[in-house]
Amino acid sequence: MRRAVSSLATFSFAREHLRTPLTLVLLICLPALFVIASAAVLGEFAQALGGTVAGNSASALGAGWAAAFLAGVLGYFEVASSRGADRRLSLAGFGAGRVALARIGAAIGLALLASAVAYLALALRVGIEHPFHAAAAIVAFALTYIGIGALIGSLISDALAGSLAVALIFLLDTFSGPGMTSSGGISVLMPTRKAADLLTAAGAGQGSPSGDWIGVAVVAATSLVLAFGAFWLSARSRTR
Amino acid sequence: MNASRQALATQLGFREQFRRPLVLVLLVVIPLFFISRSIAITLPTPRTVGLPGGVTVATTMKDIHGAIMATITVAFLAGLLGVFVMQSALQADRRLVIAGFRPLEAIIPRLVVVVVATLIVVGVSLAVTAADFTPKSWAPFVVGTLAAGLIYAGLGAISGALLGRLGATYLMFFLPMIDIGILQNPMFGDGRADDWATLLPGYGPTRLTLDGAFSTMFHAGGDLVLSAAWVLAVAAAVGLILRRSVAPRR
Repeated sequence: MRRAVSSLATFSFAREHLRTPLTLVLLICLPALFVIASAAVLGEFAQALGGTVAGNSASALGAGWAAAFLAGVLGYFEVASSRGADRRLSLAGFGAGRVALARIGAAIGLALLASAVAYLALALRVGIEHPFHAAAAIVAFALTYIGIGALIGSLISDALAGSLAVALIFLLDTFSGPGMTSSGGISVLMPTRKAADLLTAAGAGQGSPSGDWIGVAVVAATSLVLAFGAFWLSARSRTR
Repeated sequence: MNASRQALATQLGFREQFRRPLVLVLLVVIPLFFISRSIAITLPTPRTVGLPGGVTVATTMKDIHGAIMATITVAFLAGLLGVFVMQSALQADRRLVIAGFRPLEAIIPRLVVVVVATLIVVGVSLAVTAADFTPKSWAPFVVGTLAAGLIYAGLGAISGALLGRLGATYLMFFLPMIDIGILQNPMFGDGRADDWATLLPGYGPTRLTLDGAFSTMFHAGGDLVLSAAWVLAVAAAVGLILRRSVAPRR
C-alpha cells in the first residue's frame, strides 16, 4: 500500500511538470534538435577554442549537455516551486523522506526521458561506437545536474534567479569541459568532467579506464545524495 | 486607458524586480563570464566571413566569436526574463483585471518591465564585449543585438504564458543557442546560414550584428527591415496572447 502511494506521488510529481501538453513535446524535441544541430559543429567549436576533442567525440558531448541542462532545471523547480506543498504532504503523514524519494524519482524519470531522446538523436545522427558507455555517460550528466539543480533550489527560491544560476553553472561547466579549450585551468573542478571523458571516449569508440567509471559513479551518487538532502530539507516541518 | 493606474502598475512591476537583487547580479555576472571568457579562450585562427550585400571580409575566429557572443547572450537572457516576468505577472494581472483594470492596462506595464530589463542586459553585454572587441560600426551592431533581445524577450513572454516553467525555461535556453549560436553562427561550416535557417528569428539580428562588427559601410537594410518585422510580429503576438491570458474566464 505504502509503495503504491509512493509510486503515485512520483507519478504525480512528474505529471506536475507536464500539465501543459506542449511541455512533453518540448522535452522530446529540444534535446533531439540540439543534438542534431550541434553534432556537426561541436568539433569545429572545440578546434576554435584550441580544444582537442573532435569528430564523433565532440558530437557526443551535445547529448550529455542536452540531458544535463534539462535535469538541472528540473531539479531546481522540483525543490524551489514545491516547498509549501511538500511540507503539507509531509505533515499529512507521508513523511519528508518519502516525499524526497518521490521527488527524486520524478526528476530521474523525466531526466531519463530527455537522456533517451538525446541518446537516440546522437545514435541516428552520427552513430555511437560504444553504445552502453555513451548511454551511461549521458545518464551520469543528467543525474549530476539533478543534484546541482536541487542544491540551487534549496538556496535560491526566486525562479528567475535560480534558473539563471543553473545556466551559469552549466555554461561554466560546458565551456571549461575536457577537450573543449586549451586553457585547462578550472576544468578539473567541473562536475561533469569525468562523465565528459567517458562520453568523448565512447564517441570515439574507445573504452574508459576504471578510474573514470569510479569517478563518474562517485559524482553521480554524491549528486543524488545532495538532491535527496535538498528535497528532504524542503519537505520537513520547520515547527519541530 | 487610465494613465495613473498604468503608472502605478508599472512602478509596482519594477518594485517587484528590485526585490530580487540576485537577478540583477546574475544579469551582470553571466554576460561578464560568458562573453569575456568565450572571447579570451578563442584562438585567432584566420577565417573569412560573408556579410550582407555579398561582401566578404577576412578576419579571425576570435573576432567572429567576439562579434556574436553578445547576441547569443542577450537572446537567452532576454528570453528567460520574458518567461519569468510574464509567469509571475499572469496570476496577479488576472486579479487586476477582475478588480477593474482593462487587460491592456495590466499588460503594458509588464511589457515595459521586460523591455527595460532587456535594455539592461543589452547594455551590460555590449559593455563587456567592448572590453575585448570593437565593432567597425557600432550602430548596426547595437541595433542587431537589441533586436535579438527584444525578439527573444517576446518569445520568452509567449512561452511563459503558454508553457509550464520547465518547458519554457528549456526552450528559452536552447532555442537561442540552436538559432544564433549554431545555425546563424559564421564560425561553423561554410559560414552561411542554410536557406531554411533564414526563417528563424535570429537571422536578421545576427546579420545586422555581423555587418556592424566587420564593416564601416551599412549593407544590412533588408536585415534591418526583417528584424523590425520580427520585433513587431512578436510584440503583436505577445499582446494578443497576454490579453487573452489575463481576460476574466467566463
